[in-house]
Amino acid sequence: MSIRLWIDDREVLAEPGERILEVAQRQGISIPTLCHHPALPVLGACRVCLVEVQQGKRREITTACNTLVQEGMRVATDTAEVRGHRAMNLELLRARAPEAPAVRELATQLGVARSRFRPPAQNPLPNCILCELCVRACAHLGHHALAAVGRGDKKRIGLPHNRPAEACVGCGSCLSVCPTRCILLKETATTRTIWGQTFELVRCKSCGAPVMTEAQRAHAIRTKQLPEDHDDTCELCKQSAASQRLASVVW
Amino acid sequence: MARIANAAALAAYRKQQRALRPAERKAIAVCAGTGCKAFGGLEVFEAFRAALDAHGLAKTWDLRATGCHGFCERGPLVLFFPEGRLYQRVKPEDVEEIVTRTLLGGEVLERLLYQDPVTGARHEKEHDIPFYRHQRRLVLAQNGQIDPTSLDDYLVLGGYGGLVKALGMDPAAVVAEVKRAGLRGRGGAGFPTGVKWEICRAAQADQRYVICNADEGDPGAFMDRSVIEGNPHLVLEGMLIGAYAIGASQGHVYIRQEYPLAVERLELALAQARALGLLGQDILGSGFSFDVHVSRGGGAFVCGEESAMIASLEGRRGVPRRRPPYPAAQGLHGKPTNINNVETWATVPIILEKGADWFAAIGTAGSKGTKIFSLVGKVNNTGLVEVPMGITLREIVEVIGGGIPGGKAFKAVQTGGPSGGCLPAEKLDVAVDFDSLVREGAMMGSGGMIVMDEDTCMVDVARYFLGFLKFESCGNCTSCRDGLEQLHALVTDIAEGRATSGTLDLLEELAETIRATSLCALGTTAVNPVQSTLRYFRHEYEAHIRDGRCPAKVCKALIHFSINDKCTGCTLCAKNCPQKCITGERKALHVIDQARCIKCGICRDVCKFAAVDVQ
Amino acid sequence: MGCRTCELACSFVHSRAGALGRPRIRIHAQGRGLEAGVIKDRYLQLTCLQCAEAACAKVCPTQALVRDETTRAIVLVAERCIGCGLCEAACPFGHMHFDRQIRLPLKCDLCGGSPACARFCPHHALEIRP
Repeated sequence: MSIRLWIDDREVLAEPGERILEVAQRQGISIPTLCHHPALPVLGACRVCLVEVQQGKRREITTACNTLVQEGMRVATDTAEVRGHRAMNLELLRARAPEAPAVRELATQLGVARSRFRPPAQNPLPNCILCELCVRACAHLGHHALAAVGRGDKKRIGLPHNRPAEACVGCGSCLSVCPTRCILLKETATTRTIWGQTFELVRCKSCGAPVMTEAQRAHAIRTKQLPEDHDDTCELCKQSAASQRLASVVW
Repeated sequence: MARIANAAALAAYRKQQRALRPAERKAIAVCAGTGCKAFGGLEVFEAFRAALDAHGLAKTWDLRATGCHGFCERGPLVLFFPEGRLYQRVKPEDVEEIVTRTLLGGEVLERLLYQDPVTGARHEKEHDIPFYRHQRRLVLAQNGQIDPTSLDDYLVLGGYGGLVKALGMDPAAVVAEVKRAGLRGRGGAGFPTGVKWEICRAAQADQRYVICNADEGDPGAFMDRSVIEGNPHLVLEGMLIGAYAIGASQGHVYIRQEYPLAVERLELALAQARALGLLGQDILGSGFSFDVHVSRGGGAFVCGEESAMIASLEGRRGVPRRRPPYPAAQGLHGKPTNINNVETWATVPIILEKGADWFAAIGTAGSKGTKIFSLVGKVNNTGLVEVPMGITLREIVEVIGGGIPGGKAFKAVQTGGPSGGCLPAEKLDVAVDFDSLVREGAMMGSGGMIVMDEDTCMVDVARYFLGFLKFESCGNCTSCRDGLEQLHALVTDIAEGRATSGTLDLLEELAETIRATSLCALGTTAVNPVQSTLRYFRHEYEAHIRDGRCPAKVCKALIHFSINDKCTGCTLCAKNCPQKCITGERKALHVIDQARCIKCGICRDVCKFAAVDVQ
Repeated sequence: MGCRTCELACSFVHSRAGALGRPRIRIHAQGRGLEAGVIKDRYLQLTCLQCAEAACAKVCPTQALVRDETTRAIVLVAERCIGCGLCEAACPFGHMHFDRQIRLPLKCDLCGGSPACARFCPHHALEIRP
């Protein structure tokens, strides 16, 4: 049974269990987000995707990403109040992550030219907005190497107990999903360092180019994502090999 | 103790126990609640044991160490039954005299009776003391009478009678009874308990859970702790009735690790109930099976929020999640779960025992029954008070609490814990019920009540609570985590004289975003201390900002200490100054070196001649 | 002919922020050989085969690589990608390239049905067949 609701006075049908954000996006209604990733569990951390929701007599400002649609719900995505609260939360994030382009751009879009706040006292990972996308991506991949540590103004992202974590394979997905790209990843010809841990890189057996970390390969083989006899060549050498095989057939 | 097979067997067992200790039997109840223990209550108890033995009275007098009697200010408390005489501030040295003169001689020791600080009158009986006279004790009624380690004590006073009654009813009828009683959640939000049960009961599931929220985290609150420490079976009986009504077979108590005695009492009560067959399979032959597991929380304030508590119980990080789905539909391990606070559970057996109508006759139209408050701060009678809903704040503060010590003026009362609101003197006649308090910008909360006098700076109060909350936020929402930190920084700016004319506007704008856009109640109510003090004490904020002055003379950056010509040169201040920054010859005017003074106020406190001024 | 116009066209249509993209099609020189009595340079063009059972899509932990029902190409839904790089390792033919800068994989998307490589081939040596 479909659910009928209104988004910005537009009548919309949605399925039970869907959330306002996905339904709105399907309708082409854009709602700004920072901590949302369609492939990862919702968290509702950044408080940027705010909308006004009227359900019966109850009216509230809430986050679109984690609010389930309900029959008869009326959603307004662009009221002055909504814009004001989005801007305030962006202003808070701008103080925390002054150099992050994603935050700066969105803040500017929402009319926050500068932040009236001082940077937070505890900010061990500069420009991190504590959205936990890295934590969620890491958990989704089955590694669970990253965690939110501490609470309140001392919350931070890190390896559990701040010690090298065997669970981390150095795949770098945390950095891939990070909206502020604040996670440090350094690569040499033979190693990759991330979260203070250094990983040996698998190098292409033909040309020596780095392919992936040894730990990531081992994990992928163990979990049967890659075959046991996985071929350690870079993609260009794989192509060359394929073209030679093809040539021997054609000519 | 053998397993009791059915209600008739329980009645027989109860009768047998009652015969062993008739109501007219003489008893001494020494309070061994946390407050009295701190004053030496256990030593008093031991002294009584020795003295009774020495005088050969151990068989004629029952001696019990009980849970908290509530009047912590006057501890250690000793209560004598059946007459209900109360001796207060009893020391072990007093015991021999009590035994010889009072127990044997029938004499009343005047000096150990409570004396009214205003009228000077002595009160012999507990129920004549204003602190107790104006209370209505339902949940705490048995705290002064029973030994919390004795299931028999509880049974003698009618314990598990509510359960027997419930098991004889249809579960739906039990839900209806609680609904009709109008009981609302004592944890703070005030959601109708019966409705909550009904929703959970209606959810389709093969397994349901009930949880007792004993994660009492408000600074200065000890209601739940005292109920569990003093009468654990009452809470357990409430959970049993609720589980039967809802159709749950497993219960959890989520209790603070910092409450070791409560945990111990609870574990003991569970073992006793299991041994007697009040927990386990086929309870009292009813076919209903239920057991309870105790889980200890690590002391995160946010874990008192139900979805965070469930996450913690499941072994995950204690972070609230978006509701709906509510726990009644998807709770612990995804199953329908009903969470109630300790006091709510403890009220349930009373409703079943006495009936919904009897209960609903107490209180106001919207808030039924009684509520326990931990009354603390600048008030004469600090302690635990249980009052009928609808009583005024004035009655609690001035009559039960006995007013403000030292002849100081009342300034504000803060209800609802760290995220409650501060109400000023002109709101003292507000009725204490869920809706009235919210209307005035405060809240019922779980029952913290902090009284403040004229020496309290409201900016400093707001800063204190914000400091607590920014630390205890789970850190998930930008608005709560960063918002509270920035709000705290702004209030600190005001308290330290760095604020500008724009600070207050920014403060209010930010507070509104935190309130409106945070996920859970921690964030949405965290701004109450700021918003309520701004509402009623805005002039204090303005004095700090505009005039650089702290009217209550608390904020250190805005005050300085000096010595006036009343100084006799006694050198007491100089001797006590931790900075050694007071100089002066004997019998000559002393001077404070402002550059080195840390404004601790010790000089003012030790001065016998009121020669230290604060500006 | 080895003019590599197809590579350039591919780079051009997959430009990002004004910079040419990495080509998803590549011409591989295979030396010289005799063809119809003439010695000629030999070239092979290689691009994604849009495999029926695509290893890249199979290994993707977030179902970010899906088959486009109209073009039958395996395309990247960038919003769903978490940048783990497993697709690059999984493709046996070397047609997935994980871009370390933008932290997304690059792959042939058949240009939505009208591949630029074929359109711009001056010799009409490339064509697309259903």
